[in-house]
Amino acid sequence: MSKEAPALGMDQQAFLEHAIEQYGKATYNYAYRLTGNAADASDLTQEAYIRVYRAWESFKPGTSFLSWIYRIVTNLHRDELRRRKGRYQEEIPEIPVQPIEDYVEAQLSEPVSKALAELTPEQRQIVLLADIEECSYLEIARVVGCSVGTVRSRLHRARGQLRKLVSRYMKSSS
Amino acid sequence: MNETHPNIDRIVDYLHGELTAAEDAAMHAHLAGCSSCEELRAEEVAITETLRAHARAGERELPVGLTARIRAAAEGPPQASLWERLRAGLSPALILPAAAAIAIVLYFGFATRHGAPLATAIDPSFYVRNHAAMAASTPFSQDGAPVELTSSDETP
Repeated sequence: MSKEAPALGMDQQAFLEHAIEQYGKATYNYAYRLTGNAADASDLTQEAYIRVYRAWESFKPGTSFLSWIYRIVTNLHRDELRRRKGRYQEEIPEIPVQPIEDYVEAQLSEPVSKALAELTPEQRQIVLLADIEECSYLEIARVVGCSVGTVRSRLHRARGQLRKLVSRYMKSSS
Repeated sequence: MNETHPNIDRIVDYLHGELTAAEDAAMHAHLAGCSSCEELRAEEVAITETLRAHARAGERELPVGLTARIRAAAEGPPQASLWERLRAGLSPALILPAAAAIAIVLYFGFATRHGAPLATAIDPSFYVRNHAAMAASTPFSQDGAPVELTSSDETP
């Protein structure tokens, strides 16, 4: 995970602009992978950056900005899941209008997409952070707000689930 | 060669760089000489690679207009205090009935606490005495003095 942070000595507005420019896309993609749809990902990203704007002075220099923003998104997502009793709306599948390489990659990753959707929200968070964002267990523990031991056990369980689900979906699609 | 095979969770930790230096070296040495464990490692690597390919395939740009929306929301007025929100929510149409209700409750609460009657209380003996006074007189007589009806106890 990148350790770069918006530069010190900026004013509140410049801090926000710099943060969005540098981390907006990563934040949005993380939110999208958590929620599975564009509308909720946009709302989560917007709310997260409003919090960054309001609490910008509490950001500790020398710490990872990405860890901080992921933590905010993770907490907002958890609160929203509680409010909606665990369900986000399903994304309407897009018609693949893309180069053939991308199409093949998308086809290959379809079983993964289904398998990820079957994980619990907590397991999905850990897998996204560990395998896609390449965070260490300690970073994940800080983002999610649990112990390293919990991260480890959730990841092991999630990988076990993925192993079964991916192979099941691979067989059914072939 | 180490004959004790690591379990799959240890291999996952190894792939995520979460073993100590000594454990990492031991795992590395074991995998080099154990084809079945190496096969498991390769399967785990394949899952990770598929996850990353899935993420790359679904990588999205920040939606157009989202930055402007964030900017506008962030620069918007700060959240009003509880009192300001209450004051804003109270229109005159609500204030007048609410004030009347409070006044009524206060009045009756005060009156009840201090023993004042809730309604005009007339002593029942008043009716008895007046009935007796009326019965003793001759109401249809032109000569008789009219009976004075009073509500006081001093009435003869």
